[in-house]
Amino acid sequence: MLNIIVCIKQVPRVTELPWDEKSGTLRRDLAAGMINPACKHALEAGLQIQEKIGAMVTVLTMGPPAAEEVLREALAMGANRGILISDKRFAGSDTYATSFFLATAIKKEIPCYDLILCGAYTSDSETAQVGPQLAEELQIPAAAYAENMDIKGSTLRVRRLVDNFRETLEMEFPALVTVSMEKYLPRYTTLAGLENAFVDSNISTYDADALGISDNAIGRQCSRTRVRKVYLRKAQKENVILTGTAAAVVSDFLNKYENKISAAIGKTIEEKEPGND
Amino acid sequence: MQYNPCMKHKLIRNSVRHFAETELEPVAAQIDRNATFPRNIIEKMRPLNYFGLQVPKKYGGADLDSISAAIVVEEISRVCAAVGLCVTVHNGVAIYPLLKFATQEQKETYLPKLASGEVLGAFSLTEANAGSDSGSVETTAVKNGNKYILNGTKIFVTNGGVCDLALIFALTGSGQKHPLSSVFIVESNYPGFLRGELEDLCGMRANPVSSLFFEDCPVPEGNLLGKSGEGMKIGLATLDNGRIGIAAQALGIAQGALEAAVKYAKERQQFKKPIASLQTIQNYIADMATEQTAARLLLYHACSLKDQGAPFGCEASMAKLYCSSVAAKTTSLAVQIHGGYGYSKEYNVERYFRDAKVTEIYEGTSEIQRMVIARSVLSQLIL
Amino acid sequence: MTKKQKSIWVFGDYRNYFQNRVTLQLLSKAFDLAHVISAEVCAVVFGHEVDEWIMEYTAHGADRILVIDHPSLKSYSTENYLALIEKLARERDPEIILIGATDFGREFAPRLAKRLNTGLSADCVGLDITDDGLLLQIAPSFGGNMLAEIVTEKYRPQMATVRPGTFKEIPHNYERKAIVERLPLMEKLSKSRIRLIEYERAVVREHTIENATVIVCGGRGLGNKKNFKKLDELANLLGGDVGATRPVVYANWADHKALVGQAGKHIKPKILFSFGISGAIQHTAGLGEADFIIAVNKNPQATMMKMADVAIVADASDLLGSLIKEIKKRIRD
Repeated sequence: MLNIIVCIKQVPRVTELPWDEKSGTLRRDLAAGMINPACKHALEAGLQIQEKIGAMVTVLTMGPPAAEEVLREALAMGANRGILISDKRFAGSDTYATSFFLATAIKKEIPCYDLILCGAYTSDSETAQVGPQLAEELQIPAAAYAENMDIKGSTLRVRRLVDNFRETLEMEFPALVTVSMEKYLPRYTTLAGLENAFVDSNISTYDADALGISDNAIGRQCSRTRVRKVYLRKAQKENVILTGTAAAVVSDFLNKYENKISAAIGKTIEEKEPGND
Repeated sequence: MQYNPCMKHKLIRNSVRHFAETELEPVAAQIDRNATFPRNIIEKMRPLNYFGLQVPKKYGGADLDSISAAIVVEEISRVCAAVGLCVTVHNGVAIYPLLKFATQEQKETYLPKLASGEVLGAFSLTEANAGSDSGSVETTAVKNGNKYILNGTKIFVTNGGVCDLALIFALTGSGQKHPLSSVFIVESNYPGFLRGELEDLCGMRANPVSSLFFEDCPVPEGNLLGKSGEGMKIGLATLDNGRIGIAAQALGIAQGALEAAVKYAKERQQFKKPIASLQTIQNYIADMATEQTAARLLLYHACSLKDQGAPFGCEASMAKLYCSSVAAKTTSLAVQIHGGYGYSKEYNVERYFRDAKVTEIYEGTSEIQRMVIARSVLSQLIL
Repeated sequence: MTKKQKSIWVFGDYRNYFQNRVTLQLLSKAFDLAHVISAEVCAVVFGHEVDEWIMEYTAHGADRILVIDHPSLKSYSTENYLALIEKLARERDPEIILIGATDFGREFAPRLAKRLNTGLSADCVGLDITDDGLLLQIAPSFGGNMLAEIVTEKYRPQMATVRPGTFKEIPHNYERKAIVERLPLMEKLSKSRIRLIEYERAVVREHTIENATVIVCGGRGLGNKKNFKKLDELANLLGGDVGATRPVVYANWADHKALVGQAGKHIKPKILFSFGISGAIQHTAGLGEADFIIAVNKNPQATMMKMADVAIVADASDLLGSLIKEIKKRIRD
């Protein structure tokens, strides 16, 4: 029976979080959590494989204790087992560090996996980096944007759409696949499933010590990037007023903003009116 | 009483909300306008156990606790009260009496199909001359061999237009003080079971409310629920439970209205600022939010009494009375806050307003609820 | 001994060349950044028969081109390209590597960053040099409502991916010269663990107003249906879509499909033009995710004008005509 790991992340529920002027940070604590939508697609892909050829589906997440919620929801949808890795020292990790911690947990707790499934990107940071970086940590082949997966024995065929090219790739297990947002539409959770997820659940929690990650290792594998500042995008809006004759205003407008428009449309709008040809 | 939503209740709320917002939200206004029952969405709800909320797992239900079940009804009603009504009536007053009073054989025959939603249930007590005065029921059930022959008319039956099964209250004899009534499990395919035209209502329009006519309708004696003459007992116990469901429905409507009002108040600018910055609007919102929290706690209190196996009828009445009045007030304020736009069908609040009103009327009017509560309080030896 | 010159590398992602010009855009940005930190701009190209790209990249800002041209590199292969660029990067120690955030780039860049033990910011909407000479990576988060300024302090190279359409390319200059280093395929590529079985061009994803980058919206201030129809011409010039307000849809100037606002389509364009729209709340409620709004209205006090980044006080129809005329004169493909 296939051994599948699905990596999921708990993300804040709202797209606009309240902004704390004083500390210059987002009030993340105010937002209820939910399974990152893209991760749900990955879980759906795993459950479809389970239904088709049989598989043991383990969901793995890294987060604060409250992240247990997403594991329960995944169990309710049909996953067999949940693992939460949680430690204050993991907080604030970028994708570089996160992929290391996840890889450590996998090597220790679920070493005999066949397939790792990840969502394409998260709705909060949207980097889409953890999947590929996790594959690097584990040194396994990986393919992103999977629309379709075909499994024969220990060979995986992935069909994917990349930059307007449709590719069919083949690789051997163990492998990692990130799943397209266009396919694998997640099923709704049944109420009986939710009830069961709390009655007979199968969730384990590990901190850094339990995973054998020393402070030294955390230091070495720590985040490579640092966020210096975060600010509301809307705060950047000016309100520039232009008046005059139509021709003059249009000229003025295009001179000032052609850069912005050109970049958006992918063509060039000359900065100054071209001379008489 | 502390209310801290446990993780399970949070997840249930989130998952039903997600379904309601994805499937019901896009069509809610249109099915209300055209008074059409969204059969295709009902079909999608069936595998999710929405029609077997508190049915034991062995019959295919979700076996949820009462707060969880209330949350399901709240979240559906928040988006589309008419469908929330379908779900709560099916679970709360069609399935519930079977769970409490049916024989093993009746349970095995009917519960699996009801829990899966293959069969939709209804409960009909009300008649033209018997509303609040439920003792004045005139429908009769006369024993004839191994059948009862049903004759009579039931009105305002929720789910009436689509139900496959209905619990019918009928007179089966005359007792010493009061006429005796009994409850029958009646399948819609029995001869003489006729549906009337759908009612054209102010709100809950997507719910197929209709009359049911029984003309010499033969019901097998095995479909008598409980014992002959237990009609009143079963009825009262059922309504106690039904009230929790309606309270949850009203609470959901109030929730939707409050959210719409808050969103609008933040966006709408008059006098060069959002109207949410005006004290009057803030007062309205404060009242709406406070009353809603109080209503929620009162409802969940009734739910937990029920789950503990304690008497919960008085608290259920309080919850129904209060939640429905909060819904009526909140939806009215929500329309007010939206100003002229609130009166237009372009926004949803006028639908919430129309939907809320009936929660003060059906399954026991607010006047009846007060009667129930007063009797309960006055009958206690020590308060 | 002269100090080794810093270099800014731009990965040559040449698939889908004519629509996707992200490499050219990044070369232009690299050109600007290079001046600040006294670096050279270096394009990295892998493939087979890539002379066309070498020429284009030279013409668009590269000082040096590192090329590995070999038949086995003909189709894109994440694993092969990673092996090659990793080796080159370790040998030459670039200061910065910029990669276009195409589907390929978004898979390629994080893996390279991991191999080189360095940090990466994805989908940057801005790049700059800080006072202390670091690459300032400005990336969106929380659905684009927030911007984060990120730096990679200790590790090199500093890496960022950038979406197509973020930066503007320098006009081509075919007189420019660059140093072209044609490198051999240094080692036999170890058999890739991923085998490419099939490869074909796919139908481009359906273009709808919901994923339009540019939207031109019109309201009743345009006057009549004929004037409203001029929006089609502007939309075509800019490769965008036409949106409408409810009164305009009711007046039959536009189809219901074009309705934008609370009850209409959910839009998130980079550029939104708004002609003759006062800004009723049902319309403006749907505009929160537009990056840059240009409003044209006779009335400078209209709500739409207050919401806009640029508010042009003029008759909407007149201005629309003048704008179309002027853009036609100035636009170059």
